[in-house]
Amino acid sequence: MTASVDQASRTKGAAPERRGGSDPRRGSFWFLLGPPAIVLGLFLIVPVLLMIAVSFRADLSGELLAPFTPTLKQFQQAFAGAGYWRVLGISALTAFGVAAIATVTAYPIAYFLAFRAGKRAALYLILLLVPFWTSYLLRVMAWKLMLGEQGVVNSVLIGTGLIDDPLDALLYNRSAVVVTLIYVWIPFAALPILAGLGRIDVRLHDAAADLYGSPLQQFLRVTLPLSLPGVVAAFFMVFIPTVGEYVTPLLVGGTGGTMYGNLIQDFFTRAANWPLGSALSIIMLTVTLGLVIVALRIVDPRRLLERG
Amino acid sequence: MHPRRSLSTLQSTMVLSVVVILAACGPGGATGPTAGAATQLPTQAAATEIPPDQVTGSLHVLDWTGYDAEWAWQDFKNTYKNVTVTFDFGDSDADQYGKMKGGSQADIFHPYTGWLQFYVDEGLVAEIDTTKLKNWDKVPDSFKAIGQINGKQYFVPWDWGFTSILYRTDKITTPVDSWGILFDAKYKGHLSMWDDGPAAVTVSSYVHSYDETNITADQLASIKAEWTAQAPLNKAYWVAETDLDQLMASGEVWAAYAWQGAYATLNGGGTPVAYANPKEGRNSWVGVYGIRKDSSNYDLALRFLDSKLGTLTGQNLVTNYFYGVANGDVMSGIADPAQAAAYTNTTTGATPELLKQTFSVDDPSILQKTNFTPNLTAQQRDDWTAMWTEVKASQ
Amino acid sequence: MTASARPRRLRLPVIRGYYWLLIGLLYLPIAILFVFSINANTTLSFPLRGFTLAWYAKLFATPALLHAVTNSVMVALGSSVAATALGSMIAILLSRFNFRGRTALTGLAMLPLIIPFVVLAVALLILFRALDINLSLVTIAIAHVVVALPYTTLIVLARLIGFDKQLEEASMDLGASYPATLRLVVLPIAAPAIVSAWITAFTVSFDEFALALFLAGRDPTFPVYLYGQLRFANTLPVLIATAVLLMLGTLTLILVADRIRKR
Repeated sequence: MTASVDQASRTKGAAPERRGGSDPRRGSFWFLLGPPAIVLGLFLIVPVLLMIAVSFRADLSGELLAPFTPTLKQFQQAFAGAGYWRVLGISALTAFGVAAIATVTAYPIAYFLAFRAGKRAALYLILLLVPFWTSYLLRVMAWKLMLGEQGVVNSVLIGTGLIDDPLDALLYNRSAVVVTLIYVWIPFAALPILAGLGRIDVRLHDAAADLYGSPLQQFLRVTLPLSLPGVVAAFFMVFIPTVGEYVTPLLVGGTGGTMYGNLIQDFFTRAANWPLGSALSIIMLTVTLGLVIVALRIVDPRRLLERG
Repeated sequence: MHPRRSLSTLQSTMVLSVVVILAACGPGGATGPTAGAATQLPTQAAATEIPPDQVTGSLHVLDWTGYDAEWAWQDFKNTYKNVTVTFDFGDSDADQYGKMKGGSQADIFHPYTGWLQFYVDEGLVAEIDTTKLKNWDKVPDSFKAIGQINGKQYFVPWDWGFTSILYRTDKITTPVDSWGILFDAKYKGHLSMWDDGPAAVTVSSYVHSYDETNITADQLASIKAEWTAQAPLNKAYWVAETDLDQLMASGEVWAAYAWQGAYATLNGGGTPVAYANPKEGRNSWVGVYGIRKDSSNYDLALRFLDSKLGTLTGQNLVTNYFYGVANGDVMSGIADPAQAAAYTNTTTGATPELLKQTFSVDDPSILQKTNFTPNLTAQQRDDWTAMWTEVKASQ
Repeated sequence: MTASARPRRLRLPVIRGYYWLLIGLLYLPIAILFVFSINANTTLSFPLRGFTLAWYAKLFATPALLHAVTNSVMVALGSSVAATALGSMIAILLSRFNFRGRTALTGLAMLPLIIPFVVLAVALLILFRALDINLSLVTIAIAHVVVALPYTTLIVLARLIGFDKQLEEASMDLGASYPATLRLVVLPIAAPAIVSAWITAFTVSFDEFALALFLAGRDPTFPVYLYGQLRFANTLPVLIATAVLLMLGTLTLILVADRIRKR
């Protein structure tokens, strides 16, 4: 009798049905759901709701939490500013590029750590991450020193005689922003890929080596497809926050490298215009969410999530 | 640190004229009207005259980073040894305003001219009882006026300085004489403007002789167009003074909107720079301290503000950051050879000579032409910052 | 069938070389910072002006700086542990349970990634005001838990997805309760990812400053302190020295730990 019940319940992801028909994991379910739900509810949902509320304010005058008459004025201003949409589009494209390149660049590192590093994998991983315990601000400033007119790159190029005059187009533009962001994200992108590679059964891996003629085939036919959830996770993990990035564009972007995050940041920290800043943020949130939903439709995570 | 604007041009021109004349004349110049206040003092003095080192309590100050260093409140620290002072930070006027609006429990905060009206309008600041400030008579009248809104004293002025064009004399050999250089396409890729909307409006109004208190919509539109065209001429905008220091020291930027601190730092570091005296006049800004309304530490906060105006604190400010202080005696001490040691700082490179150059002590005509921008209204603040954001968004 | 002796090892030097090349590139800016930390000049520009260790000496003589670093460590430790625990819980839920709010929970867990930090900071500021909570290291830590949650969730989730549930089902068939199964089967499976997630969360918190700037009370974290000091030229080299020292210190700790582990 247990056998048939168990067979019926052995569908992936389904709660195992036991005698009586209720999920014996119920208690654990609420234990697992409770704390995250409370934390997310109180410290994420409520603040977001507050932000949405603020975006309907006409201005910051009066008590912050007192009732006010809602107005669409901020959204009107946000929609009317042609520059804002342009920058949002550019930011999204930049984020896409950075995420794609960072993911691709990080993949071999994750592969190395998963299959080639052996016992020292943990050490090599930490080695990868340690620069990130150096201040982000200072690392970006160091990039300024690399790309500047009297910086390392120019000094080397001039010293070896490849060019005569320093290149002044390495810094303070959009390209500098992209390069710096990729540099910043690569180690982070490696982590989800690594986690995804880690679950690939070694026997599968070896079997593939026997089956396919070349390591390349083995990789393309077996390893890569199995590692896709990690790759997708890495891509999104980089893409989404990069749309709203502001520190790097501020430090190395010059006047031409402004991203949407700078605009929002300005309204909060330089203009004390929280309503307009909130309105712009909501627009960015909606657009990014939309892009992610579209992307997920294309990539079909259900297939990925149920694989294995 | 950020230059801000204060009241009318005339009032504020008087500010610096007084200070510089004092400095030029040497020490012991300033006196102020203390007679009137003296009659009130005795009754209150008797009640509050506990010996300073027996005063206990704690103060919470919302300040810009760096001002928590002991040298910035040295007099208070030396006098009130048993009071704990803790610091919160807000690193732009908007940040400070935002935090105060957000309900900060700080007793004291540090805004700059241009951003003062909002605090009064929103009921965030308490009136200052100047009779309790022992150093108040050292503050020139025009500085006092800067801290007055609607006829009442709400703020105590502290740090101040100039804004002008800083340029490298080895790259730009003819002396710069106008704010217009910031728009000069000849220097494309070698200019740098401060990343601030109201500052941009100020520069434009100097160049075109607009009335800053009354910028019309048309004028704002042409200002926006002008700065949109200017944006590609910059190497980069600068946000913090150190950004500018590096840009100029490396030779990438030849001319920039700058405060006198950058001039002093670069000069002291050996870079050949000059600080312009544009025909439209320099700009000046003043930082002030206010006490939060409903603060339970009003008396202690007042003592803190009083100590801020103290001699040692003032001298520290001048030699560490090359900012001026609102204490007339301290400023006039720069020119006094007998006090040379107090105005020397080997770490920052401050010397009386450098300070005299920085504050243009020897040239009173500069101050007569110096302008201040009026306090912003909330509408102007929103419009001008939005204008600037749109300039940046269109690049 | 044993693994064949195919020349898979042909790839070995390439991939390994790639790793080291990238490590080199990653550490290059650090090397530059190091150079400037011993340079006798306050502005960060070439040419170099002369060798000095004065900045490191000054570092230890600046209590505010040391205090800020300690604060950062405490906040990072606290928030990373919480974020890892919560993220693991969500990952288990999403990969092992079918329930109506799945999509909502996923979206919610990923939401902090899309919200600009400065917006979240202001929103949390208003929240803490409304709840009459004073700003402190705890408020920063709370914010850090929220922003690290997507990372920890994703990392543990990537590991748990596709790991056959047969093991867990077998465990429960054999009579173990689900909590025991979680403890003895799921957690060990997820352990590498959990460690990975914890390190990520720690890193996110330690260097985060947009939220910390807004939500700091009397005690700043190191990035907040650094950002403020960046305004003043003469403090820059000391800050760089701190950053370099922090990194070298961490590196040493790791190498020592690795040595010990090998014994």
